[in-house]
Amino acid sequence: MDDLMELLDDFLVEAFEMIEEMDQDLIELENNPDDLELINKIFRVAHTIKGSGSFLNFDKLTHLTHHMEAVLDKARRGELKITSEIMDVILESVDAMKAILEYIRDYKNDESPDIDIEPIVKKLDAIVNGTFGSDEGETQEDKSSVNLDEISIENVDELDLDNLPPEELDAILDKLVEEVNKNDTENEKNEEENEKKEEQKEHTQAESDNKPVVKEEKKEPVKSEKKNLQQAKKDIKKQIASVKEQTIRVDVKRLDQLMNLIGELVLAKNRLIKIYNDVEERYEGEKFLEELNQVVSSISIVTTDLQIAVMKTRMLPIGKVFNKFPRLVRDLSRELGKKVRLIIEGEDTELDKSIIEEIGDPLVHMIRNAVDHGIEPPEERIKKGKPEEGTIWLKAYNEGNMIVIEIKDDGRGMDPEKLKQKAIEKGIITPQEAENMSDKEAFMLIFKPGFSTAEKVTNVSGRGVGMDVVKTNIEQLNGIIEVDSIPDKGTTIKLKIPLTLAIIQALLVASQEDLFAVPLSNVIETVRIVEEDIYTIEGKSVLKLRDEVLPLVNMADVFEIEKILEPEKYLYVVILGLGASKIGLIVDRFIGQEEIVIKSLGEFLKGVPGIAGATIRGDGRVTLIVDVASLMKLAKQTHNKKLVTDSLKEAKKKKEKPEDYVVMIVDDSAMDRKIMRQALEPLGVTVIEAKDGVEALNMLKQNDVDAMLIDIEMPRMDGYTLAQEIRKYNKYRKLPLIAVTSRATKSDRVRGVEVGMNEYITKPYTQEYLQNVVRRNLKL
Amino acid sequence: MGLGDIVKQQQKALTEPEENKSEEVVQLVGFVVGDEEFAVPILSIQEIIKPIEWTKVPFVPDYVLGVFNLRGNVLPLIDLRKKFNVPSDEIDENTRFIVMKIKGEDVAFVIDKLTSALRIPKKNILPPPDTYNNEDDIIEGVGRMDDGRIITILKVDNLIKREEIVPNRD
Repeated sequence: MDDLMELLDDFLVEAFEMIEEMDQDLIELENNPDDLELINKIFRVAHTIKGSGSFLNFDKLTHLTHHMEAVLDKARRGELKITSEIMDVILESVDAMKAILEYIRDYKNDESPDIDIEPIVKKLDAIVNGTFGSDEGETQEDKSSVNLDEISIENVDELDLDNLPPEELDAILDKLVEEVNKNDTENEKNEEENEKKEEQKEHTQAESDNKPVVKEEKKEPVKSEKKNLQQAKKDIKKQIASVKEQTIRVDVKRLDQLMNLIGELVLAKNRLIKIYNDVEERYEGEKFLEELNQVVSSISIVTTDLQIAVMKTRMLPIGKVFNKFPRLVRDLSRELGKKVRLIIEGEDTELDKSIIEEIGDPLVHMIRNAVDHGIEPPEERIKKGKPEEGTIWLKAYNEGNMIVIEIKDDGRGMDPEKLKQKAIEKGIITPQEAENMSDKEAFMLIFKPGFSTAEKVTNVSGRGVGMDVVKTNIEQLNGIIEVDSIPDKGTTIKLKIPLTLAIIQALLVASQEDLFAVPLSNVIETVRIVEEDIYTIEGKSVLKLRDEVLPLVNMADVFEIEKILEPEKYLYVVILGLGASKIGLIVDRFIGQEEIVIKSLGEFLKGVPGIAGATIRGDGRVTLIVDVASLMKLAKQTHNKKLVTDSLKEAKKKKEKPEDYVVMIVDDSAMDRKIMRQALEPLGVTVIEAKDGVEALNMLKQNDVDAMLIDIEMPRMDGYTLAQEIRKYNKYRKLPLIAVTSRATKSDRVRGVEVGMNEYITKPYTQEYLQNVVRRNLKL
Repeated sequence: MGLGDIVKQQQKALTEPEENKSEEVVQLVGFVVGDEEFAVPILSIQEIIKPIEWTKVPFVPDYVLGVFNLRGNVLPLIDLRKKFNVPSDEIDENTRFIVMKIKGEDVAFVIDKLTSALRIPKKNILPPPDTYNNEDDIIEGVGRMDDGRIITILKVDNLIKREEIVPNRD
């Protein structure tokens, strides 16, 4: 039973693939009706489906494909010219085949009550009989296909098997096997009557244990012809099988698991690189570094290759999605009375399986739109001096880590002014907003919910839902949409989609103390600005970047992060793009680009606004990954209620008098602390004291410290470690740390610089010298 | 012990199942949060670790401190002091993260100090008194120890709720 189910599964997978291919070939055939090879190919596909279908006892499917095959057979013999009308019927029968196959997939039989194939069969027969189109669509027995009826076990010797094309041989074999089966059943009946009961029992036992095909081989009264035929059939099957063995089917779950493991490996690799960098600084010039470097690089190369290799196993050619479009365009253009040619390029471009599954619907919408709204009716095109037939280009190609899918038509294009007008009428934008809008922004209006420019709504498009859905779908894939259009020349829509979703390139940024990973696919660019570059328009902060005006928000405001850092002269802005919109996000620091593995935040935390997941960095810490779509929504809310300039003021605290400055002295010797305190007294600054590194760290968190004087040799935590710990906090990145120590060798000083000390004072020192150093660091 | 004794003992065990049942003991792990001692069933604990660095997560209640990395897995970290409205305290050498499985997910809780593994006979566990604030149904019962200590036993599954952490989720 399991065998049979497996067989059925294989049959379905194969059949669906073949039908898809057939669909495409048929469209091509319509354009080149004389392409004999193409007709033969289609005929073979129909024939194979018929063969396997009959083997699995799907009578309805067999019946239908049989009649379809008859038409195709006639066509390949040149007795029939494929016209559009005939093609309609053939396509209709392909659709019925699809419906039956889907039914089989769901219910394991083909006795669907909803699918009535008789009318199609009648039409097919009419075509074969040459009566198609005339009123009498009488059904007649089809006799023009392979002359199977005349072949039987008895006369099979007369056939010249060697010279028959394989598909015909196959058909004959099918027929004969069927016949032999019948004979066998009859024989069995005789046996039942004649032979001993014991034997009989064994026989039925063996029989029920085997699949129908195998059964024949076990039967006693086998005619030699039959054996030969079986053998011949097997050989052919084997030949076909050996060609197909180039690929294997793998459960997607296994690939996912593999991907997870690679993810762990990438994390470990990042960590290794981090450790190497740390070690490199400390042991510069030592021999083992070179060796370590080699190992680290080779592991990192292998990991990357491995990741790409596994990613590739999950990749499918986008042709899988593109394949259905020739049919779609054909049907649509016929329905709308337009002439449209679809040119597909780059169908071999590969994309992750999960993305392939998501991309189909948006593309259908856009192709429909192009045919319905883009391409003009033939008369209009002629009037405009364009060729009567419109063209739609569907292209896919790689661009860095992204794949670009381009849908271009040579239709009527879009007028940005008209779009704005329409949007104002529908209340989607205000007239003021329209005025500030660039052409590109105006084109993006088509993605707004409730926006539709078609004067009349057809059942094809124009309900104003489609493009909105497109945008949502593309955003879910972290993709970007770009639209360009010239009136009367046509429209080009570009979808840029990341290649994979599991391991991504990210830009790491810091907002105040917190790090975030922003998917690089959504980072359009990064810029450094000064406060003067920020404008306020209608109570909202915007950034003027070349010819664009972008909304600007502070990331700390979006995520409600407490502001502890004083703003610096320069502001760092990440320009984020998603779907059709762009926004400028102020961060406090760019950390760099890194390959990250996306991990879920778990059931309890998933769905936190603005956060897509987390990743583990080289140092073992967790960094949150920004969910660009959700972040954009939050940012828009923030943009409406908070000015960036106000937000920047929040963290500014003025220090006026010397006593507003706090200097911390860290030294385990009470006497040394006293000496330092006395030295600082004339400056008038506030002084606090800590006995060791641990105490200093705690005091630092509770006090607003402006500079630290640190002894190196201390119990519990020494000065180097203390400096290292302090520098881990973004907040204290610029806090002046001054080492005050009697350790004066060069290597001590180097070590001090390494851990982040700003100055190095060796004991003994003069009061004046200490004062100067502190004053300089406090900028007093 | 002679063979006869063993046989006797076994017989006793067989004939007195009733008494055994009432002697059923619950194994718990006790810990301190604020001034109070709590306990959770030992089997709900995955592991207990020393505090490690965590990452803040925006838009969550203050008792969700954030997330941290436990051997490659990202776990949420819950501060039980904040959850129980006890004033916060510094993390010190006694502070621990207890990792427990809640509805199939590992979640870590910050506690002030571990006390001990406890064995409390079931009969010594009473339902929470009405005076207790048990709105969230997070208290399983109150255990009375032989030395007179009172321990609040927590219902692990109810300690945190999804809808409280991320409201209005789709």
